[in-house]
Parts: sequence; structure tokens; C-alpha cells
Amino acid sequence: MALVKYLKSSDLKSWLAELAQKNSVFAPRYEGDSVIFAPFDPEQEIFIKNAATAPPKKTVFPQSEKLVDFKYSKDPEDLSRILIDAKENLPEGTAIVFGGRPCDVRGFTMFDRVYMSEEATDIYYKTRRDNTSFITLACDSTENTCFCNWVNSSPSDPTGSDVLAIPVGDGLLLKAVSDRGESLLTSKLLSDGESRIGEGEKVCKEAAESLSQVQDLSNAPQKLLEVFDSIEFWEDVSAKCLSCGACTYLCPTCYCFNITDETKGLQASRIRSWDNCMSALFTMEASGHNPRPTKAHRLKNRVGHKFSYYPDLHDGVISCCGCGRCIKSCPAGVDIREIVLKAIEFEPTVVEG
Amino acid sequence: MKFQNELKDSIRKALPELDVVIGWCGSFDRLHATPHFIRREEDIEKLEIGPLSVHNLATYLPGLRGKKVGIVVKGCDSRSVIELLQEKLIDREDITIFGFPCTGVVDQAKIKKALGYVGNVESCDMSDKSMVLVIDGQTHLLNFSEIKAEKCYSCKYPDAIISDHFVGDKIGNGDSTDANYEALETFEKLPVSERFGYWLKELDRCIRCYACRNACPLCVCRDHCAAESREPHWLSQENNVRDKLMFQVIHAYHLAGRCTECGECQRACPVDIPVLMLKQKMNKEVRDIFKYEAGVDPEETPPLLSFKMEEENITEKDW
Amino acid sequence: MNTKNLYLPEMATIQEVIEETHNIVTFRVTLNNQEAMKNFSFEPGNVGQLSAFGIGESTFVINSPPTRMDYLQFSVMRSGEVTTKLHSLKAGDQVGVRAPLGNHFPYENMKGKDIVFVGGGIGMAPLRTLLLFMLDNRDDYGKITLLYGARSPLDMAYNYELQDWLDRDDLDTHLTIDAEFEGWEHNVGLIPNVLLEIAPSAENSVAITCGPPIMIKFTLQALEKLGFKDEQIVTTLEKRMKCGVGICGRCNIGSSYVCKDGPVYTGAQLKELPNEL
Repeated sequence: MALVKYLKSSDLKSWLAELAQKNSVFAPRYEGDSVIFAPFDPEQEIFIKNAATAPPKKTVFPQSEKLVDFKYSKDPEDLSRILIDAKENLPEGTAIVFGGRPCDVRGFTMFDRVYMSEEATDIYYKTRRDNTSFITLACDSTENTCFCNWVNSSPSDPTGSDVLAIPVGDGLLLKAVSDRGESLLTSKLLSDGESRIGEGEKVCKEAAESLSQVQDLSNAPQKLLEVFDSIEFWEDVSAKCLSCGACTYLCPTCYCFNITDETKGLQASRIRSWDNCMSALFTMEASGHNPRPTKAHRLKNRVGHKFSYYPDLHDGVISCCGCGRCIKSCPAGVDIREIVLKAIEFEPTVVEG
Repeated sequence: MKFQNELKDSIRKALPELDVVIGWCGSFDRLHATPHFIRREEDIEKLEIGPLSVHNLATYLPGLRGKKVGIVVKGCDSRSVIELLQEKLIDREDITIFGFPCTGVVDQAKIKKALGYVGNVESCDMSDKSMVLVIDGQTHLLNFSEIKAEKCYSCKYPDAIISDHFVGDKIGNGDSTDANYEALETFEKLPVSERFGYWLKELDRCIRCYACRNACPLCVCRDHCAAESREPHWLSQENNVRDKLMFQVIHAYHLAGRCTECGECQRACPVDIPVLMLKQKMNKEVRDIFKYEAGVDPEETPPLLSFKMEEENITEKDW
Repeated sequence: MNTKNLYLPEMATIQEVIEETHNIVTFRVTLNNQEAMKNFSFEPGNVGQLSAFGIGESTFVINSPPTRMDYLQFSVMRSGEVTTKLHSLKAGDQVGVRAPLGNHFPYENMKGKDIVFVGGGIGMAPLRTLLLFMLDNRDDYGKITLLYGARSPLDMAYNYELQDWLDRDDLDTHLTIDAEFEGWEHNVGLIPNVLLEIAPSAENSVAITCGPPIMIKFTLQALEKLGFKDEQIVTTLEKRMKCGVGICGRCNIGSSYVCKDGPVYTGAQLKELPNEL
């Protein structure tokens, strides 16, 4: 039986403050009118009523990070030569992310298959991933844009988390999911939670039932390939898309990046920054040729990647966690669910003769 | 909306001559609308106009150049169409404009703020004065005056300024009087350090998705934007708030005297950064110097797109 | 390749710079770490990322063969920021190298077969690797035919070794340019047309082609006319790449990542992929 504890809401900040003594702690809070993950600050209110506007993706995969620093100097033996010193810039320290949702945290498991594969391991990602623990909040309510149940998950899915926190009464029922999670539940502020397990289960069950009916996406990978060459289909579903990066940057599973150099005097850095397949420059080749010249091509790749190519490479796992942020935050109301379902229903028009 | 059917009839008549008509329809819940691209007769039925028709559809026009496009516009949207015509970024003969009298649109951010949570909307009913929302079984009544988009309070052009088909009775556009910059003027009175601090704080959460740029009907450089260009290399890819601010400054400067203050930049921002104010600031300066208001007269040229040997209000010889 | 940190380039020194054409320069580089250079191993067709420090990285094929390891050779066509910077470098200058990346030509499957190389412009670079590799293992292969074309003689890289290739008995070399040029003694005409004139036999043959997309398109049609089946055709693709190890997500065609699963594909493999070249 895994360790189960209970934390009163009024003790939440004190508990996070304890955890923050040895770790960087990230928690959701209001910044302007948006809820953003930020370093825990006891002076500021934590917001955990609903999912944050932006997921905690940046805690493991920063918006921008220096991979390598370069330094230039003159070769003392031959002053016409410039010597270059390259130094890797690996992340340090441990972090705890409090208040991500099951969908947000499960998103990292989709990163893992790409960033920590047998073929290649991304040391920057792995270092942060290994050193970050997740205390995840199960959802006690859901939104119209939520569809985690379509992608084999649920509002209380513990996948990828170390502790699952379920809102119960005026507090949180904390269930250890991993060994690391158990080690996070040693504070004196926590009481035994065994007696509230039933209550917790009820919350999770009700949240799960509030979601929309599950849609069968099992043939999406195949159908998306079938519809690949129908430019009319993709022009139609992408017509209102503005080709911005809001969907990708708010997506807990979108992992693409750019690498660029930035120079300042005698120093330079090689930087990895978020990039997105909705941008025309993403695939623009040096020759000027672009394999994805229009937003129809680009949206096709975004949907195809999540619901067809990624599952093809990774045991059928859909690279979408169903958080719905891409729908909710899209300035034009593009709904990825609608596109996938349309693709599944797509019947190629048979040309006579 | 009472004239919605009239609008549908009007579109139905025009559609055979057009490749597409852009309007709005319902979205993932009753509180949201989404742009609706009408290509076939059967698409017309889904059309809905009203306070949820927030999107400025003029944004799509330059991308559809060469096609015969119909577009449904609010008064404010029609100003973007005029601006695009002025700058010859669209062709008048290819565009069919459907206007209607607009009584204001909602600001989703205000609704979210008023209720805290709008995730599970079950129903949404609107009258001229109020909105009744049912969320998770609970009923909420909101006064329309509390949730109206900021631009609607001082709107002078509820009727499309330019249109080929107008449905409903015109409300009556105001004269080109001064725009209301009250909030901006209050902000301007703060010391520089406070203003700068405000922007550094607000822009810190910018994710550089450029929704503000792409939603802007007049941001027409699109795939050749200074934001992402390496040659010239204006902005770094570092997560640096000064670079984020720099982009907003570039955006505002490019829009000085062209921006119709439709507010799409701010509405589109997924992390609610109040970027419209920067453009209002530039517009206010343009108004003071050039006595010019963007997007009102298709025959005008925006002041910063023209050149005069002697400007009336810039007297550099006296400096 | 630094397998611990995939993004950390090896420091390398440019040993020699060869001006090939008005816009192509070839660099011969060695890794500064002598041990790493000695242990460096790769396969024909592998690519590498060259760093112009402070500017960025770009992908180029290693166009010297693994049978000649005095240096690693890269040919760089000037087209953007990184290549422009690389063109300004001279012997003794430092560059970064991340290599080898990608897959390689399936030369094991080509043993005992006749080989037809069809290269256009800078597309000759990857073919050069395999051609020299095969010449260095000449007994393993049957007849080798090379058709190399460029816009004009002035656009033709590897000029200094073309005469040797023409003179060899064990290599049937054909050169072509798009339009008549004073003093040009070889073919004149577009590559696919010249290929049809040479008409190499498809029997027990493999054709390896690389060049601009439009040339590839018509070369594939010509090869088909000559009786080459999809599985007898090998080509290498170009995409915008950043990480080079299948992570950053931009070079995919469907679920195939050109930087990792490519850049070498057979005609049969290409037909399996979504149409997004």
C-alpha cells in the first residue's frame, strides 16, 4: 500500500516552503490575468482551482536555454589565429513542480521517448527530468475543452507523477506514486490520509464522469495518412488558423526546438529555444524551397505528428495529452478534436475511370 | 440577432459569385464563436453573428488575395478592410463586404475574470443587456456592460463604414472625433521607471508565439518578420524580456497611424498581455501630430506612408 | 561524435580550403583531439554539422571516403548566414564538427552489381564519397558509370579530379552542362536526357542519384524508362535540420526523420513515405 497523507489547505504554503529549502519549487499563480508556473513565493497566492493557462513544460524544457558557451581568444603563438573554447552548460539543482495536472505531467512521458531513447539521449533534458519531481493535482472538475479520456488517460492519471494530490474536503489527499514521491511526504505538516481514500476516489470518479464521451481514435494514424494528399481537406480545416505558435507553446507534448547562436563581443552561446511547426521558417531550406509552404501543410504536420507519426514510432501512443489548451487558447478557435474526427470520417472521393 | 436571417439571405444570393464568405459560427461551447468559412450553400445555416463575434476577419483577407472573398464585418472590422485597401494589400473588386449594426462584442478575458472559471459552460443566453451562463449547473448573470470589449465603450463606428450589403438598421456612426485614451493617459502620468517596470513584468510571461502579430490584420510581413529573421538579426532567441519588449516596440512602430485599434493583438495573446496599449500610444501621437485616424477613408494615405516636404505640425526648422 | 552531449561540437581545424566554384568551397578539416581523429569512423553517406561559432550550424555530407582518413572533407555552397561565414574561413581557422550523423549508402547490398551515379551540381558531394569508396574497393563492384552535370563548367566542383575520373579504365565518366560553352568537349544537355542517351542497363544495377529536387524528379522518370525498379534506385534528401539526431522535429517526412533515418533513401522507401519533399 502506497503512502497516503493529508494536507490542510491552510498548510499548503508552509509545506511548499519546507520543500523549497532544498529544491526549486514551481507552483501556479496569477500573473496578470493568466495562471503561470513560477518559482514559489510565500508572499503570493497559489492558484490551484483549475488548470493553469500554460503548462509546467518549461520546468523541464525551458523556453530558451544555453547549451554551449563559446569564448574567443587570440592564439598567443600565432596572433592571426583565433582560438575558441566551448563549454557545455548543464542544468544544476533539483526542482519540485507542484500543481501540474495529470495531463501536463503525462506530457513529459511523451518527451521521454524522444529525448531519452536508446539511440540518443539529450543530456540537458535528462538532467532536468531526473532532478525534477512532480506533485500533481488531480482534477476535481473538467472543462469543455478537456479530452484526456480520448487519449487513454483520466483526470487522476498518476503517469509521470511522484505524488498525486486529490482535492478532498478543505485540503489535499497526497498519494505517493513513486519512491521519490514517498520521500516528499515526510513533513510533520502532513497527517495520515488513509481514512480519506474513499472520498478521494469519489472525487476522481466524478471528475472522470464529467468528461465528454470517449471517441475511438485507434484508426487515426492510418486515416491521417490516407487524407495526407487531400489538400482540400487540409485547406478546409486550416482556413481559420492564424499560423501562430500559441497551440504549440502551450502544448505539454510539443517538444520541437530551434538551435541558434547569439554573439556578444568575445563570447557567444549556442541556444536551444522552443520552435513550432506552424511557422513557415521551421522547414524553410537554404535553397528557398519549403516542403510545408502553407498553413494547411503545417497544420497537417502538427495533427499528423501527434496522432499518426508519433504513434507509429512509439507503440501506438498518441502524442497528445488531451489538456485542450490548444483549443481554449487558440485565437481563432481551431479545434484539434474536430480535425482528427473529420480525418477519421474522411472518405476519399473516387474519381470515375 | 434579428437580422441574422437577412444576412444569410444576402450571403446566399452572393455566394455563387464568390469563392468563400467569412463569418462566424458556434465553437466548442456556447460561450465561444469561431471564424466560419462558407464555401457551400449548406455552410450558411451555421452562421451566427452577435456579441461573441469577436474575431476581426479582415486578418484573413491578404492571405486570400486573388480569390473572390465575401466578408462579414463589424464597424471596427470594416476599418481594417479600409486600411488594407488604402495600402493596396487587397483588391476592392475581389471583396464583397457584408455589414451589420454591431452593438458590441464581449471580452472573454473579462468573463473569465468575473467568474474565475468558465471551463464547463452548459448554456449561454444573451440579450441586449445581459448574458446568462450556466456553468457546472450554476447560473450566472452578467451585465453586458461589464463584459464588453474595452474598444466597444468608445466605439464611434458601430456600422460598417464600407459595405456592399448592409443588413439591419444602421445605428449611426459618429463623426471622426477624438478617440478615448483615458486609461493610456493615466498610465502616461506614471514615472518612466514604473512604466518600464510594468512592461518588464507583463512581458516576462510572453511565450513568443506571435499570436499578437498573426492575429493583427495589418501585420502583413508574415513569414518575413523581423522577429524571426537572422539577417538582419534584430532579436535574440534568449528568454530575455528585453527582446520580447523589443518585438512589441517594433510591432507598435510598424502600426503607428495604421492600427485601427481592433484589439486583436491583445485578444489573441494566450497569456493575456495587454499589448494594445503600446499601439494606442503610437496612434495617440499620430493623432496629435497629423490629426489622422486610421481606417476611415479608403482614399486617404496613412501619414507615415506618405511624404511631405513641409509637415504642418513638425516644424524642424524651428528646432 | 560526443555521445554524452549530442550538441557539443568537436573542435576542428581547417587544413585546406579549395575554391571549387563561384559559390562552392571545400574544406578539409581534422579534429583537434588527435585521439578522436584517429578513432573517428563513419560510413559513406553520413553527414555532419559544421559550426561557424557564434553564427550557427549547418548540415553537410562528409564527401571524403572512410578509406581516406587524413582529413574529413565538406563542400559548402553559399546560401545563408552560416555558409557565408564558413566561406570567409581560411586554413588554420577553427570550426565545430558534430559527426557522423544520419544513415549511409547501402553499399553492402551493391556488391557485385553495376553502379550508375547520377549527380547534379552540389549533389555530386555525397556521390563523391561513395564513388571514391568504391574505387578504393574496386573489385567489389561491377561496371561503374558516372554522369555528373552542372549548369556550366564554371559550376562544376571537383574540377581537379575530373580528368582523372575521365582517364580511368575502371570508370565510365560522362560530364554534361545545360548549355553550349566555349571550349567544352563533353555532353551538352539536361542530366535526365543525357542519362537516356547513355542508357546504362538496369540489369543487376543500382542507380544512385543526388541533386536539386527538379533534377531528381526527372532523373527518377528517366531511370524508370531505363527499367530501373524503385528498389534499384538510391537517393539522398535535403531538409532543414537543427539537432541532427532526430529530436528537434523539423526534418520529418511522416514518421521518418531525414537527419536520423536518412538522408539516404531507396526509391522504394520514398514511395512508402507521405508525399512531402
